Parts: sequence; C-alpha cells; structure tokens
Amino acid sequence: MKRRDFLAATAAGATAIGALAAPQLAAAQGSRVLRFVPQANLSSMDAVAGTQYVVRNAALMVWDTLYGVNSQLEPQPQMCEGHQVSDDFKTWTFKLRPGLTFHDGGKVTTRDVLASLKRWMVRDTMGQVITARLDALEALDDQSFRFRLNKPFTKMLFALGKNNAPVALIMPERIAATDPFKLISDYVGSGPMKFNKAEWVPGSKAIFEKFAEYPVRSEAGDWLSGGKRMMFDRIEWQILPDAATATAALQNGEIDWWEQPIPDVVPLLKRNANINVDISDPLGNIGSLRMNHLHPPFNDVRVRRAVMMALNQQDYMQAVVGDDAKLWKLLPSFFTPGTPVYTEEGGDILKGPRRYEEARKLLAEAGYKGEKIILCVATDVAITKAEGDVTADMLAKIGMNVDYQALDWGTVGARRAKKDPPGQGGWHIFHTWHAGADCINPAPYTALDAGGDKAWFGWPNSPEVQARIGDWYAAADLEAEKKAIVAINKASFDYVTYGPTGFFLQYQAWRKNISGVVKAPFPVFWGVQKT
Amino acid sequence: MSTTLLSPVDVAVAPALPDVLPPRRARGRVGMFIHRHPTIFAGGLMLAVFLFIAVFAPYLGTADPTAIAPARRTRPPSELFWFGSDMLGRDVYSRVLYGTRISLAVGFSVAILSSIIGLFIGLVSGFTRWVDAIVMRIMDGLMSIPSILLAIALMALTRGDWKNVVVAITVAEVPRVARLVRGVVLTLREQPYVEAAVASGTRVPKIIWKHILPNTLAPIIVQATFICASAMITEAILSFIGAGTPPTIPSWGNIMAEGRALWQVKPHIVFFPALFLSLTVFAVNLLGDGLRDALDPRLAKRI
Amino acid sequence: MLTYAAKRVAATIPVMAIVAFLVFSLLYIAPGDPAAIIAGDQATPADVDRIRESLGLDRPFVVRFAEWVWRVLNGDLGQSIFTNLSVTHMIGQRIQPTVSLMVLTLILTICVAVPMGVAAAAKQGTWIDRLVMMVSVSGFSVPVFVVGYLMAYVFALQLDLFPVQGYTPIANGIGPWLSNLVLPVVTLSAAFVALIARVTRATMLEVLSQDYVRTARAKGVSQRPVLFVHALKNAAVPVITVIGLGVASLIGGAVVTESVFAIPGVGRLIVDAILRRDYPVIQGCVLMFSFLYVLVNLGVDLLYTVFDPRIRY
Repeated sequence: MKRRDFLAATAAGATAIGALAAPQLAAAQGSRVLRFVPQANLSSMDAVAGTQYVVRNAALMVWDTLYGVNSQLEPQPQMCEGHQVSDDFKTWTFKLRPGLTFHDGGKVTTRDVLASLKRWMVRDTMGQVITARLDALEALDDQSFRFRLNKPFTKMLFALGKNNAPVALIMPERIAATDPFKLISDYVGSGPMKFNKAEWVPGSKAIFEKFAEYPVRSEAGDWLSGGKRMMFDRIEWQILPDAATATAALQNGEIDWWEQPIPDVVPLLKRNANINVDISDPLGNIGSLRMNHLHPPFNDVRVRRAVMMALNQQDYMQAVVGDDAKLWKLLPSFFTPGTPVYTEEGGDILKGPRRYEEARKLLAEAGYKGEKIILCVATDVAITKAEGDVTADMLAKIGMNVDYQALDWGTVGARRAKKDPPGQGGWHIFHTWHAGADCINPAPYTALDAGGDKAWFGWPNSPEVQARIGDWYAAADLEAEKKAIVAINKASFDYVTYGPTGFFLQYQAWRKNISGVVKAPFPVFWGVQKT
Repeated sequence: MSTTLLSPVDVAVAPALPDVLPPRRARGRVGMFIHRHPTIFAGGLMLAVFLFIAVFAPYLGTADPTAIAPARRTRPPSELFWFGSDMLGRDVYSRVLYGTRISLAVGFSVAILSSIIGLFIGLVSGFTRWVDAIVMRIMDGLMSIPSILLAIALMALTRGDWKNVVVAITVAEVPRVARLVRGVVLTLREQPYVEAAVASGTRVPKIIWKHILPNTLAPIIVQATFICASAMITEAILSFIGAGTPPTIPSWGNIMAEGRALWQVKPHIVFFPALFLSLTVFAVNLLGDGLRDALDPRLAKRI
Repeated sequence: MLTYAAKRVAATIPVMAIVAFLVFSLLYIAPGDPAAIIAGDQATPADVDRIRESLGLDRPFVVRFAEWVWRVLNGDLGQSIFTNLSVTHMIGQRIQPTVSLMVLTLILTICVAVPMGVAAAAKQGTWIDRLVMMVSVSGFSVPVFVVGYLMAYVFALQLDLFPVQGYTPIANGIGPWLSNLVLPVVTLSAAFVALIARVTRATMLEVLSQDYVRTARAKGVSQRPVLFVHALKNAAVPVITVIGLGVASLIGGAVVTESVFAIPGVGRLIVDAILRRDYPVIQGCVLMFSFLYVLVNLGVDLLYTVFDPRIRY
C-alpha cells in the first residue's frame, strides 16, 4: 500500500492519521533546499586548526580562497584577479578582485588576507615551507599584497589554492587573529554560503544559507575554481551516523544526497529507479597501516619489511570496500594512481603471492620472540575497523602475538600521539586512510614525511627519504619531479615509512531529481540543482 | 529493559513478606513438576539447550569464529555457511554459537555478582542506621543515573575486556538488589518473631542467618534471573552503541552491531544473533516468572 | 504532609551532589583525548599538546571539579570543547525531541499496559491471562534496536506509512510531529508496556484478594466497578512507582531509539559526547537526566499521598 492509497483509505474519520502521513510531502519544501548527508559529524568549522575532511568540506562553502584548484589540480584565480611573479620565483604579487564582502557586510581587504595567511602558515606544511624562506609578507594597498622570499618557491599558487586542510581560507582579520591552535568560534566568511549558527545542532544538523551578495566569477565552476554559483537558498546537512538509517532515508526521499554510502548497500541503491550512484572521487583513497618506529620491534626495519611481505592488499581492500573489484586496486606505491607522477618502482615487496614463511624467518632473524604487539583499532569507523581485523589475522599468520585494542576513533587519536613505550600507554600499530588528492605529491602528504620527531604519528626517521623529498621541492620541471618521486617511492619502501593497504574508491549517491553532482575529493555544491 | 525494577515494588505491594516458604512436597515425578510449573520447565529446558550450545560450541560443526576470508564475504546461508558469512567472510553460524558463551557468561556473572554485593550492602544498611543513611544515598545517586548511561560511561573508562562489561553492568544493577534486600530486612525487623529474637538478645549474625537470609533468598533468586536477562540485553545494547565487548570477541551484540548497516541487503547477519538473543532472554525471563510463582506463596497459592 | 514534602525535596540534594561527583570523577580518569580529536588526522604531536594546554585540560582534578561545581550552581553547564557552544544551549536544542518521545511513550504505555494488566488479572488463569503474560515476556526479551529496525522496515520502507528517520518540531504542526514519532514511540513502548502490564497484573491480583474487595463482591457490586473503582485505585500506587522508576530505563531505551531513528535528542547527544570525550557535554547531560529522574520520583512520592490517604509520613 502506497502512502496515497493509505490516505484515501483512511480519509474519512481518520484525519489525524492522514495528518501523520502528510509531512513527507510538506517536508520537501520545494527545490531551493538541498538535504545532504555528510561522511561524519560536523563538530567544528575550522579547517585551518583542524584537518578533518568533513570540516574542510563545510568550510569550503563558507570561506573563499585566493586561488582554487580545478579538476586538473591546477590552481586558478578565485578571490584574486591575478598575480605577478618575478623570474626567480622570489617575489609574488597579488591583487584582489573587486566587490568581495564578508557575510557581515565588511569589505575584504588585504588586512584580512594577511592575517588569514599568517594563521594558516603556522599550521600548514606548505605554509611552513613558505615561512622558512619568507623575508616579508606585506600589503601594498587595500587590494594588493606581496610575498618577498629569499629562496625561489614555484608552488605558491598551489599552496594558496590547494584543497586539502589546512586550507588557506580568507577570514575577517578579527577571526584570523585567533590562536592557530585554538578553534575559531565566529564563522563569518566571504564564500557563497553563510553558516547558520543558530540552527546548528552538532551531531544532528548544520544549516547553510545562500549569501546573496557573493560575486560569482563568470567562468564555469570547476572544483574550487571558477564561478561558485549556488542554486539553493538553503543546504541542510543531516548527520546520520547509522548507514542503515541513511540508506532508508535516501530510498524514501527524505534526503537528496549521501556523500559516502557504504559499498554493501550500493547494489540496493542502484536498483532504485530514483537514485543515482557514482564514484565520488577518482583520486580515491590510500589505506594505511601505521607502525611505531620508536619502539621494538618495529624500530627494526627488518620487522617492518616482514609485515610488508605478509601484507595482502586484496584482503584489506575486499574487507574495506566489498566484492566490487572496480572499487579497488593493488597499490605497490605510496602515491595516487592515475596522476602524472605516479610510479610503482620500488614496490616489489607488495607484489606477488604473500611470503609468510620468509616473513617468519625475517622476524626470527630480527630477534622477535613473541612480544605483544599492541594493535589500536578504531572500531567505530568502518574502514579502520576492517583494516584492523585483517591486520590482526595477518600478524597472527606470521607468528606475531597480537593484542587487539578495540577503541573509538577519539581514543585512537589520543593514543597514537603518545610516544611512550607500547606497554605503558603507547601503541605499535594503528590504521587510517589518506585521500588520494593528498597523496599526489609530497607537498600535501603529511604521512610520507620521515623527519623523526616532527614527522606524523609513528615518527619515521629517514634522512634518505627526507633528502629525496627535498629534491622534489627543488625540482624545476615535470621530468625532474618524476625522477624525484621515483626516488622517494623507492626510499620509502626500502625504509617502510608505513604500509599502504591498497587504493580504493568510494561512492556517492543522490536522488535523480538532483543534477550537477561532480566527481571530486570533496562535495562540490555549486552548480548542483534540484527539480 | 529490566524487570529488576519490579523489586522495590514487591516490597511496596507486600509489606508483609512471606515468613515461611511453602511446604516442600516431594516432587517425585517429573510429570507432576511439569504440570505444576510449566514455565519453569519450559524456561529451564530452553536455557539448558543454550548452556549445552555454549559448552559444546567447538563440537557442533563450527569453524574458527574469528578466521577471516574477505574473498567469501556476506554469503547468504548455504550448506557451507549455515547462517551465511559476514562482511569479513567469517562464519556466522560459528560466531553465533560461540556468542552464546559470552551472553550467558555476562548474564550469569552479573546476576551472581550483583546478588552477592547487593545482599551484603542491603544487609549492612538494613541493620546499621548510620551506614544506611550514607550507603542508600549513594545507591540513590547511582540509581538516578540511567543504567545504560552509567554502563557506557564506565566502558569509556576501561574497554578491552568482557569482564569490564560485567563490572559496568553490575555497578548499575547492585543498587536495585541492595534496595530489595534492605526493604526485606526493614520489613522483617518489624515482624514479631524477629523483634522477639532481638529483644531476647540474639546476636545480629544469628538473626541474619536464621530469619533474614531464608526469607531474602527467594526474592533474590527471582531477582537474579531477571537481572541475568537484563544484563544480556544491556551487553547487546552496549556493543550496539560501540561501547561493549571488544569486537574481536564474537558476542551477539557485536555480530549485530557489525551487521546492522547491512540489515536491508544481508539480513541474515543480524537475524540469527537477534533470534538467539531473544530466545535466550525469553528463556531466562520464563524461568524467572516460573520461579516467582513457585517461590512466592502470595501468588502461588492461587494458581 | 508539608514537612514530608520538604524532607523529600531536601533528600534530593545529597543525591544530586553524589551524582555530580560520580559523573565528574568518572570521566576525569577516562582515557581518550579531546585535544587529539580536535586537531584532526594530520596534526603533529606538538599541535595536540598546544591544543590540550589551551583547553585547560592539563590542570589538576580538584581545580577543575571546583570550578565546574561553581559554574553549575550559577546555571552554567560549560561549553562543548568541540563546538564551543554552551552546553545549556545544546541541551535546549535537543530536549524537545527527547521529552516528546518519552511523554508519548508514557501515554501509550499506560493506555495499553494498564488495561492489559487489568484484563489479565480479572481473567486470571485463562488464555487471556496467559496471552498477556506471554506477550509481556516477549516484550522485554526482544532488544529495542531489533524492534526498531523491524518497525522501520515494515512500516516505513515496505508500507511507506511513516518517515524512516528524523524529527519535526511540534511548532511545525501536530501532524508532522506525531508522524515522525509514531515508530520510535511504538518501539520504545514495547518493553515498557511489558513491564507495566506485569506490574498492573501482579498488584491487581494482590488487591483483588484483599478483604474489602471480597466484601464488595459479596455485597453484589458487579465485576466492572470492582475492577476499575476499587481495585485499580488501590493498585495505582505501585504502578505509579514503577512508572517513576522506569523513567531511568526509558532514558536508556531512548538513547538507542534515537540512534535507530536518527532523532536529534539528548540521548544521541550524550552517546556522541561520550564517544568523543566531550566532558562538559557528558557532565551536563547526565546531570540533567539525573535531575529529571529525581524530579519525577519526587513527584511520584508526593502523588502517593493523593492516591492513598492511608500513607502518612
């Protein structure tokens, strides 16, 4: 029985029940409202101090950037009219385009820009590279400003326009004055959508409203570049942590767009005539098995290699994304496949049948005698849970004594920051994944860094890897970059910075009355329409 | 859900609790017993089946419940996988059978532990006024935190072990037993024969042993069965929210929690553990009902 | 009566104090670090330390507890460390769905369970009695989330009668509001109906065996008035008691129900907060729930005197 029949059947004498069934129609509220289910809860809005993907995705609507990458990852002018660069790549001069205002009515000036960039440079790896060679960052007038560097820096536009957090978002000066390590609590930007703080219910919904005065660029919108033309008056983010609920809601038309449906329900969604399903981001994700380089046994490169010999990416990928073979790829590399510099050179240890016997021997040779391996698994995140379960099984196969610690993502977050010995509150292994867009080259790739104490959790320390990364920064053209990437890949496999568990794609799903959804490493809301 | 809530009511309803248990007649024949106590029989029998499954899980055609095989994931029930396989290719039949162990272990441990601790606290408060004032305030405090919230909070502290789940649920259940026992003690103390015993200088331990314990035993046993049922459900709920037994252990709550995202496409993963859990809890509740009727003469005499 | 009321009110103060202490100390020693979560996946260890410091999470227990109590007494439950929103505001945003869910569940439960219990008691030993008992035992043998998913599957997905998820504020109309709540309320009621029906049956049996009821019957008062006037009135006290005590388990059930139906209530707020270790939110919510519980039971205690004038304090 469909709703309308039900209504008809009970129309007489059952007005109360009729009223009960009606709201689904009333809730649709026309085509000016988009109901979107993000990948996770939106608990803050600061994509400079925090690096969660979901925060970044929301912030990209509210704040604008000076430059913005297009789908080819080429930075294009966004808030800037254009730039001038000296031949030696040491002086970069920018001019803002006219008519930019913040949501509170204030004009965007270079004071805001400089304050925002300074805050961002404290937190971002590329920002730190700029700081290291910075003589001055100065305003020329209200509309133009200039970087003066003491060493050439060719990747300035990419740094200002890149899409991975920390993003160089432009905020009003008073907000940008916030300590870079504290979250901002004032969400005024100059982007195409305003954040409605009054209606924000963390853990449940976040509301964005169209900013009518936003000066849309005339070019077509393409990722973070071009015209960010908003077709909605209101975008409602609904947080549905339970995949079963989200599936049902999408089928029932209670939501319009689901950012990350779990792969297992995709066949069900595909069968539904009212739903479109497609890959969300061709750049995909790289799974990660992260080992603690500070403590035995993983401070010994032989033990890390033994793990790599046994690491079966097929197991990981099937556990993470399911039966659909189109969704994953073996990845004998640290880099994102399908990009110009991608290489598999040096990744032989991950290829071919797994060598459990050899791995056991190598472990024995390294002096491993059945000490407990503390495996921290965030069981509340489907991807890390699946990775953890496979790792537990794999380590057992090579004779390691696994202590599986089931934790939530928050606790793993705390635990992994501890350098203490694993037996005293530290850890041996945890899992995560990196967006493929962040692994295209070393600049946005925090997890690749092997700078010891200052490196990402696990604190890999390899001067060799660091030197090769340095070569890449110095590379002048694509050929030199390619050469450097090959060397980085080889050195990273040789040292086993971390264990890539494979490359996988994720889906997004939306109702058929929504058009304009594009593939990107973040949801692109401009240009999307509802009929 | 906890029928354990019934206990304070019993006290309120019946200020005069039974002072003697019904005379035990020789229950020679099984048939007679079944006839007189069909619910005890049915509940007991079902529970015995689950106990059997728990003990002999390895010999009932099961495989390693934790062995993963991602290549054979989410298979529907078949000859190879009787209850299908889950998202990591593990055998649901084996997991559900082994899960019986966890559920029963948690249920029984919580029932026994909270009965013993509750009995002790209840007796002490029932007999010592100054302790009563303090302890009962603490019990009130604990009881006014919803037990599932309390258990989640405790699990956030510890993690990692099904024993912690037992402790967390026990902490939440103890106040109920303590209040029950204290109520019984306070009522019994008013009884003429107890007052007489006190007046004649009988020592407290002896009073407890001779008069109080025999009369608290019946309500505690009934209470314990209901606590057992409630603990099994709480364990499942904790796992469902992601704060229960470690996921490496195949408990029914965990199997359901892992499979719940797939309930539309692969319902078998959730169905079988849900069925087993419901049946086990049902069996324990049935047993509890039967015991209540059998041990509570107020109701028993009219049946 | 008045002194009794005053005494009962006074007795709630130490209870609340104990709750406050338990809640605060419990979460103080919990592992898990909000600073690391705020910092995000790409943050370095040094970043995490700085954030922890800036949040004041590195100060001693006594200082933080004293500060917290002082602020609570001034009506300030603090700020969420994740959203920077005030906890009072966050609870305020979410209290309506939770209270709606609980009040409707209570109403439905009483409407269904009391007649069930009375019927079972009146027809004690017959198939009606057995049926009611069976239904009620089954009611709390099936976990609430299993009931929830079944309801959603049948009534929302297959029959398309009600929405699967969400909540519509009552201000948007009674119809939409009820429509979103029907399935959750029925789900949450299942176990509660079972409980209340049993208690009603048990107390009714108790009352029916009392002398005055027998006398009434002997005097020729017919069955219905005996049941509903004499017996039920006297059975009311224990039933009300259970309803009061049941509020605690109702809150527990609401947490799960809110998850299953994605209702933005306080139950989900607290589970999210516990999993993220958002201390101020956890403390505020638990304190609020405990206060609610204590308040309800205070009301129940005071109701006794209305229903049963024999009770003197």
